[in-house]
Parts: sequence; structure tokens; C-alpha cells
Amino acid sequence: MIPAFNENDAIGDVVIELRRLYRNIIVVDDRSSDDTGATAFRAGATVLRHPINLGQGAALQTGIRYALSRGAEYIVTFDADGQHRADDIRVLIETQVKTGADVVLGSRFLGHAKDIPWLRRMVLRLAVLFTRLGSGVKLTDAHNGLRLLSRGAAERIRIRQNRMAHASEIIDQISALRLTAAEAPVTIVYTDYSLRKGQRLGNAVNILADLFIARLKK
Amino acid sequence: MIIQVILIGGLLLSLLYGIIQRQKSRLLSNAISLVSVLGMFFVAFPERTTELAHFVGVGRGADLILYCWLVISIIVSMHLHLQILQLHEFITELARELALLAPRRSHGD
Repeated sequence: MIPAFNENDAIGDVVIELRRLYRNIIVVDDRSSDDTGATAFRAGATVLRHPINLGQGAALQTGIRYALSRGAEYIVTFDADGQHRADDIRVLIETQVKTGADVVLGSRFLGHAKDIPWLRRMVLRLAVLFTRLGSGVKLTDAHNGLRLLSRGAAERIRIRQNRMAHASEIIDQISALRLTAAEAPVTIVYTDYSLRKGQRLGNAVNILADLFIARLKK
Repeated sequence: MIIQVILIGGLLLSLLYGIIQRQKSRLLSNAISLVSVLGMFFVAFPERTTELAHFVGVGRGADLILYCWLVISIIVSMHLHLQILQLHEFITELARELALLAPRRSHGD
């Protein structure tokens, strides 16, 4: 399941690569202003389109709801910008089968992160530390879009962080709902495109603000 | 003084608004009413306000009111912010339902 916003340049190849290996590909088009949705559909994905732009977290929750309604037993979340490898899904599944975990999270630090800029590496390490302090869940990579949810976990996790704080929120919920989590080594390919389209480091501040407000609301 | 009449008039309207809100939220109604009545007291008896200001360690009555107003403004802003977030949640749910109603299904889905 792929949340996508203005990914017309990459989404076609991403869906085609996934379709080689898996049948059910869902793209949630978060009200892109380009042809992301149409391109994904032509490439073979089922496409849901938000009528307004809501954010990646909201798109993930929409995709999860749809996949559950279609009877999915496992849901894999996958980034639209081509930074993940379709082959790594097999590693997630193998890890799930081996450990029986409710959620398997991809880790670039267990696997390979090709050409990761040093500043990004530092921010990601800080995010891991922050997540560990906040949720108590020990991970090596807190903000990886490649993850596998069992049906049971997908039914219980409810993403309310519409924007980018959803990654931390998912880990918080894993802890709060007493779900079991495992990590699997995956490869992140940093290209000029994925770096341009990916999160800006300044977003770390927005994420912290979103999480702080969410704590206030509890 | 003219300014006292104007301020008390405004605070009376605020008190009326607070009373009208009673059916929606008793807490909000009580808070608005209390602030309005206190405000009228401070406007009508500025020397008492100065005495109170000295008692709590502030130089002038006007400063005390300014500080109180600042605190109230922050609380109101946060309340509004949380309400906007709640509205956003409703909009999200609505948008999600619309998206789920009309999927473009691939072959094999």
C-alpha cells in the first residue's frame, strides 16, 4: 500500500516493480495536482483518491481501511518515491513468519542505506532516541516507510497524525496496544529524486510540534 | 469617565454572551461570566485594582489586568487550536469516506 502525493515521475515504475511480485497494490493518491493517480492505475494499482490533500499519515490510514475491507491478512506500507526495493518485502514477510510479530518494521541501519547524507543520518539517529524515550520501544530506525502490519495490528492501530508524525505515532501505538514488533534489514536507495521528494530535515520540528499537541489532547 | 462607560458596556455584552452560552457549555459560560464581572469590578473601582496589584506584587492595576489578559488569551488560543484540530479530524474522516466510496480497482483486486 503506497501513499502518494505528486509522485507522477516515480509512481509508475514503483507500481510496475511491485506488480512483478505481488497482485494487490493499493495507491492512495493524496489529492496530487499531477497525474499520480492515473499513472498508478495504468501501471496496475488500485487507486483511491482523497478529495483534499490531507497528508501521508491520513493516506496510510485510508489505505489500511481499504485493504482491511478487501480481506487483507498482511498489509505492507511502501514509499512512492522509489527509495524502497520490492524484494525487501519478502524479508519483512520472512521476519514476520520467523518471529510471529504483529508488526515488522524495516530498518535501514540493519540493512543498507546507500549514499545516506550525514546530516540525515544524524537526525534519524536522534529520532530513534526520541522514539525510544517516548514509547519505550527499542528500534534502530524509527522513520522507515517500509513496514508490514498483520491484520490484527492493522485493525487496532489507528493513525490520527495526518502529516509526518504518523511514524512516531505508529510506534507509540505498538507500545500502548502491547503489540509485538520486530525489525527487518532493508535497503534504502537515496537518489536525487527521493532526497528532493523526501522529508526535509526542518520537518523534524513540525513532527515534534504535532506529537506535543497530540499529547496535550490526550 | 467615558472610557468606564464604554468598557462596562462591552463587558455587559460579554456577560450576556456568557449567559447565552450556558446551554452549550456550563464551564465556558461560567468562565466568561466570571471574567466579565471581574472586569466590570476592575473598571468601576480602579483604586481597588491597584490595591490588589500591590498585594500580588505588581506595580499598577493596569499592569495586573494586562498580565491576566495575556494568560486568558493564551488559554483561549490553545482552546481554539484544539477545536480546529478536532474539526480537521472530522474533515479527514469525511474525505476518507469519500475516497473509500470510489476506488478505481485494478484487474485482480
